[in-house]
Amino acid sequence: MQLVLQTLVDGLVLGGLYSLAAIGFSLIFGVMNVVNLSHGVIVLIGAYLSYFFWQTLGVDPLLSIPPVMAVLFCLGYVYQRGLIQLAVDRSSLVASMLVTFGVALMLRNLLVLIFSPDFKSITPSWAFTFFVIGPVTVDLVRISALCASLVLLSLLALALHRTGIGRVIRATAQQDLAARLCGVDVRHVYGLTFGMSAAFAGASGAILGIVMPFSPPDEVHWTINAFVVVTLGGVGSPSGALLGGLLLGVISTATSQAIGPAFPNVMMFLILVVMLLVRPAGLLGNAFSGSR
Amino acid sequence: MAKLGRRNFVKLAGAAAVAAPLIRPAQAQAKKLVFGGSVPLSGRAAETGLNVHHGYQTAIKFFNDKGGVEIAGEKYMLELRMFDDASDPARATTLIQRQIDEGVDFYLGSFGSNIVLPTAAITERAKKPMVQAGGGSDQIFNQGFRYVFGLFPRATKQFISSVEFFKSIAPRPKTFAVIMTNDAFSKTQGEGAINDCKAGGFELTDSFQLPEQITDVSSVMASLRAKTPDMVICTTHDQNSLLITRQMIASNTNVPLLYQTLGPQLQTYRETLGKYAGAICVQIYWDDRAAYKDKFFGSAGQFAAYYRQHNTRPLAYHTAGGATCITLYVHAMEAAKSTKPDAVRDALAVLDVDTLYGRVKFTAQGDGDAILLGPAIGQVQKGQVELVFPASAKTAGLIYPSPKWTEKT
Repeated sequence: MQLVLQTLVDGLVLGGLYSLAAIGFSLIFGVMNVVNLSHGVIVLIGAYLSYFFWQTLGVDPLLSIPPVMAVLFCLGYVYQRGLIQLAVDRSSLVASMLVTFGVALMLRNLLVLIFSPDFKSITPSWAFTFFVIGPVTVDLVRISALCASLVLLSLLALALHRTGIGRVIRATAQQDLAARLCGVDVRHVYGLTFGMSAAFAGASGAILGIVMPFSPPDEVHWTINAFVVVTLGGVGSPSGALLGGLLLGVISTATSQAIGPAFPNVMMFLILVVMLLVRPAGLLGNAFSGSR
Repeated sequence: MAKLGRRNFVKLAGAAAVAAPLIRPAQAQAKKLVFGGSVPLSGRAAETGLNVHHGYQTAIKFFNDKGGVEIAGEKYMLELRMFDDASDPARATTLIQRQIDEGVDFYLGSFGSNIVLPTAAITERAKKPMVQAGGGSDQIFNQGFRYVFGLFPRATKQFISSVEFFKSIAPRPKTFAVIMTNDAFSKTQGEGAINDCKAGGFELTDSFQLPEQITDVSSVMASLRAKTPDMVICTTHDQNSLLITRQMIASNTNVPLLYQTLGPQLQTYRETLGKYAGAICVQIYWDDRAAYKDKFFGSAGQFAAYYRQHNTRPLAYHTAGGATCITLYVHAMEAAKSTKPDAVRDALAVLDVDTLYGRVKFTAQGDGDAILLGPAIGQVQKGQVELVFPASAKTAGLIYPSPKWTEKT
């Protein structure tokens, strides 16, 4: 019983991180129908920025989340308007995949040039703190990662459902032509959406940096993870990403415990295939363009 | 500044015309010995790949600064032609094949058995020697390759000295668990560790085989806490080892001995964990304090001094291994009195020399002699790796059992 409880808690904590890392990917896919293959590298840029703030200014990684998000929002906006939009305008949505893949390669190597290929790790003074609740041991780093993820995902949900810009983003996602007819500057909305996605990816990177060591090649892992989470939970909504991430976390730790630690990836991709066959829109899928 | 007038111009031109024939023969005198290969300068294996590459560069610079090497009365300058394989075996094989096509005769190894294995198959087919300090998987040495030489003993033999170390601990540990990842090196070494430890009388409580890239080991920690073996042996690569240790600390998973084959030898690892790195044991293949004599550098210590004078990157044993690959080539060429690949290969096969890395001798299959080149055991103490086994190389006593994570200072 203790092992089951521990596995469940570990899975939820891991899932929180997966959710936050995937929400940006989900939003871009849902609103713009763009599969952003540079998503993982944006997560890592967030981790490196947080590492930079921690190393040079001594800023706690959790406190570095707002500046990291601000920087990545701006970069994301410029990236979308300056590159992805151009690729989509001149060619097709498939071109955007190639562009984002190319950018991922370039950014990965840029990270190597700037930060060296050596792995990095953010270890604030509280990084190794843990507490025991009954039979379950939980470490502070992972529980803060889960809390930060829940807070950020809630904020995003609020922004999307309770603010004007959120309404415009949802409207554009549902029908961009109708949004244009209503006077919405769709290109600007796309830029904002990409900026928000990059900001949330960056935030997850900052949290990821406290939880585990990271190096530039890890970006592939975070792109694939985001893809699986989004397929599982559904495109374009924070609740979908949250559900997908938590499920993936629990499935991952439960598989590891019940079948063997070598099998979480096998189970993850098995579920991906099954979901694509049975419910391609995901568990909480909606009618956004990415899932149509 | 003096004006370059017509007279001065004529003088200079005349001097240049006289000097030119003298310069040309001087350039033509020194032939080139090219060492090709690939090494991970980016990607997951880059940290240690860079260490190996720095070793290669240092040795090449050393020999060239001394005016090159003399083989059979002819002077040669050394040229390093390494490319970044990005820790990708497919890319590495393309790079090696291209160099074979370009006529490069001598190869140095990449880092990681998963890369060394396919690249060695290419150099073997082309009958070009490869000396490497980056691949220890048994598969490299049990396929009948004749041209591949590895500084490390094969993975299944790398645990012989470790088991002797475990036996020497008082009170003697009884049980052990092994954590390995599903890659050519880690898996082979993990399986070797299980066999050797069982043969040494230790009881296996659990073995965990993880994916090549780990992001979470909480379930492993839960299992370890449930059974608490006396020793946890991780045959994982650097980044994975760090993740495992971090999660052990953060989940308060205590064991009397944490032993990792890779990871704690890196400064990054020790700096990240700070006081928590204390008492963790690691395989150490080389230490600059060892009394190894070297024909070229003088000694291990002098190599370390030379390296630190010309590099800012911390010195690791893989760096010394990389440099030794070059010195072994020079030893072999001198012995063969030839720079023909076949002759150099034959000389390498029977080589038995003292180097900055210790006495080097290869087995008939090409891996390093397990007794001469097997690892010593280090333990992190006050942020530094101290040698705790064998007794002859000891620089400090072993801390055992390891203090609990909460009690480390």
